[in-house]
Amino acid sequence: MSSAATNPLAVAPLVRWVVAALFLCAYGLVFVHVKHEQHRLGEGLRQVERKLADERALNEVLLARITTLSSRAELQRRLREGFISLREIPQSSLAVLAPASEGVVTGLAQAPSLEARVP
Amino acid sequence: MRLKTRHRVAIVCSGACLLFSLYSWRLVDLQVARHREFVREAAEKHSRKEPILARRGMIVDRNGEILAASVPVRRAVLDATQVNSPGRLAEVAAPFLGMEPGDILAEIATGTQYKVLSRCLPEERAIELRRLLIGERLRGLRLLEDSQRVYPNGPLLCHVLGYLGPRDPAKPEVEGLEGVESAFEAELRGRDGFRLIEKDRTGREIVLYRGAEEGPRHGNTVELTLDMGLQAIVEEELDASCAELNPDVAVVILVEPKTGDILALANRPNYDPGRAGSATAESRKNRAIMDVVEPGSTFKIVVSAAALAEGVVNDKTLIHCENGRYYYGGAVLRDVHGYGSMGVHDILVKSSNIGSAKMGLMLGPEKFYGYVRLFGFGERTGIDLPGEVRGILRSVSQWDRLTITRMPMGHAISTTPLQIAMAMAAIANDGALMRPRVVRAIRSPDGREIERREPQMVRQVVSPEVARFVGNALRAVTKPGGTAKLAAVPGFEVAGKTGTAQKVNPRGGYHSDKYVVSFVGYLPAEDPAFVGLVMIDNAKVAPGLNYGGLVAAPIFARIAEKAARYLNLVPVQRAEAVLPLAFSGARDGGRPPEAVQ
Repeated sequence: MSSAATNPLAVAPLVRWVVAALFLCAYGLVFVHVKHEQHRLGEGLRQVERKLADERALNEVLLARITTLSSRAELQRRLREGFISLREIPQSSLAVLAPASEGVVTGLAQAPSLEARVP
Repeated sequence: MRLKTRHRVAIVCSGACLLFSLYSWRLVDLQVARHREFVREAAEKHSRKEPILARRGMIVDRNGEILAASVPVRRAVLDATQVNSPGRLAEVAAPFLGMEPGDILAEIATGTQYKVLSRCLPEERAIELRRLLIGERLRGLRLLEDSQRVYPNGPLLCHVLGYLGPRDPAKPEVEGLEGVESAFEAELRGRDGFRLIEKDRTGREIVLYRGAEEGPRHGNTVELTLDMGLQAIVEEELDASCAELNPDVAVVILVEPKTGDILALANRPNYDPGRAGSATAESRKNRAIMDVVEPGSTFKIVVSAAALAEGVVNDKTLIHCENGRYYYGGAVLRDVHGYGSMGVHDILVKSSNIGSAKMGLMLGPEKFYGYVRLFGFGERTGIDLPGEVRGILRSVSQWDRLTITRMPMGHAISTTPLQIAMAMAAIANDGALMRPRVVRAIRSPDGREIERREPQMVRQVVSPEVARFVGNALRAVTKPGGTAKLAAVPGFEVAGKTGTAQKVNPRGGYHSDKYVVSFVGYLPAEDPAFVGLVMIDNAKVAPGLNYGGLVAAPIFARIAEKAARYLNLVPVQRAEAVLPLAFSGARDGGRPPEAVQ
C-alpha cells in the first residue's frame, strides 16, 4: 500500500537529466546559430571584398583611360584635328626665378626668389 | 523460461555489439586508415589554391610619362558541369561575350570543365554580367581576374617597348616577347599571391574555411632613358620622310654621347604593340640592333681616327688621292671627284675613298682591324634589349687583297645602325666608347628607386685630341664644300658624316640601283647633347639623287633642329643658312656637285 502511494518516478534525477538535456539542446542551438552567423558574415565579407575589388579594378580602368587620353599620341592627334590648340606665352607673362642660393649667415639653402618681373 | 530469456538477451546484445563493432570498424577505416585518401579527395573537390594576380609593372620614359600599363579585364570561363540553366545562361551571356547563344549551348553540351569563352572582357561589362548571373541564380560561368597590356602611344617606340604574347599558344599565360617587355620580364611580372579556399557544391567560396594566404608582389616600374618628347619628334619626321621617300627600311637613333643613353629610337616598318599578333615579323624587327648593313662612308671616321692615333698620319700629312682613280690589288678604286693631295681633314670633308684606302694601307691590316674592334664593331654593343646581333667582321686571316682598301670606306664589313651611332658617339665623347642603354632605373610599385643603372664606359678608343681632330673635320662636312651641307642646323655647329653604300644583294654581289644612305652626326659640335643617326634603305628617289647628303642629311637637320629647341639648347651663332625643310627642296634645287657621297 505504501509503495503504491509513493511516486515511482525519482523526480530529482529526472529534473537533473532534463536540465542537462535542455542545456545540451541550447548549447547545440547556440552553436548552430553562431556557425550560421559566421557563414553569413563570411558571405558579407566576400561581397565587400568583391565590391572593393570591383571598385579597384574600375579605378585602374579609369586611370588607364586617363593615361590613354592624355598620352602624347592622343594629344598630338587632338592638336592636329583642332580640338585643342597651342598658344605662345608672351614674354611679358614670364617670371624668371633666381636659382636657390645659400644664405650668407645660415649657410642653409634658400627658396628661389623672383629675379625679374616684367611689368 | 528464465534461462531462455537470458539467452535471448545475450543474443540481442551480441548482435548489437557486432553491429556497433562493424560501424566502429568502418569509422576507424574511414577516419584513420583511409584518412589521407579521403582528405585528398575532399580537397580536390572543394579546396582550391586561388591565385591573387600580381599587377604587371609599368614602363615609363625618363620624365615619368607612361608608355605601357596594365588594365584589369576578366577571363570568362565556362564550367559546363556547374551549369544549372543552359538555355538562360547562353541567352544572358551571349551579348556580353560577343557570341551566339547557340555557340555557348554547344560548348555546354561538351561537358567541359574549363573553356575560355572570352579572354578580355572589359571590367565594366564583367560587373554587369555578374550582376545578371547572380540575379537570375545562374551558375557555370566564372569571371576570372586577368589583365590586358595597353600602350597609350600606339606604335610610338614599339621596337623598344616590345609586346606581350603567349610563349605557348595553348596556354593562356602571356609574357614579354620582345623589347623591354622581354628583357625585363622578371622585374615587370612580379609574383602572384595565393589564397587557399574551400568551395561549396555550387562553386561558391565558403569564407569560413579560408586557409593560408600570401599577397601578390606587384611588378616593378621600369624607367627608360628615352624621352618621349624627342621620340615624338623623331617619329613625326620619320613618318613624313617615309611618305615622301617610300624606303624599304628606315632607322633613326638619338644617343646621348656622354652616357650612352638612347634618347629616341624608331624604325620603319613598325607596328602597334597592342595588336602585335596581327603584325608581320618584318615590322616587329628592331632594325637598329638586328639588321646589318654596309655602313659606307660613315665608317671613314674609324680609319681616320686609327691613323691619327697610331701616328701614321698627322694634321700636316698629305695623301695623294690619285685624281680619282687608284689601281690596287687588281681593281680600280674611284672617287666621285678627282682629288690631288689632301690632308686627313680634307679626306673626311670630301669623303675620299682613295684617301681612306691609303690610310688603311698605311696602318696595315692588323692595326686597322684592332681599331675596328676597339670602336665596337664585330661585337654586340651590350644594349639592354634582346636580339642584338654583332654584325659581320671577318678576321684578318680571312681578308683578301682588296679588303684593306675597301673596309676603310665602309665596305667588306657589316654593322648594325646602333654600332655606327655608338662609334660616332665615341668621337663626340672625346674618344670614350659608352655602353648604350635604354633602362636607367627600376622602381617599386610605390615609386621607390630599387636600382639605378649608371652609365658604363666600355673603353677609351682614341685619345681626346684625336677625337677632337676628327670632330673638327666632321664640322666642315656640314658646311659649304662638305658632303652634308643639308645637315646644317641654323644657329648650331653640326658635326657629322654621310654614308652611301650599294645595297647587298642576297643572291650575291650588289644591287646596281639600290642604296643604303645614312647620316650620323652630333650637335652642338662643341659640347654634344646628342648624336643622331638617320639610315634610309632603298629610298625611291630619282636616279642619281640617292645619296646620304641629299636624302638622310636633311632628315637629320629637321630632327636636330626640333630636338635642339626641345632640349633648350642655346644657339651659338647667328642663323644664316635656311634650314632645308624637305628632301623635295633639295631635289627641286638639283644636285649640288659637291654634296654627294
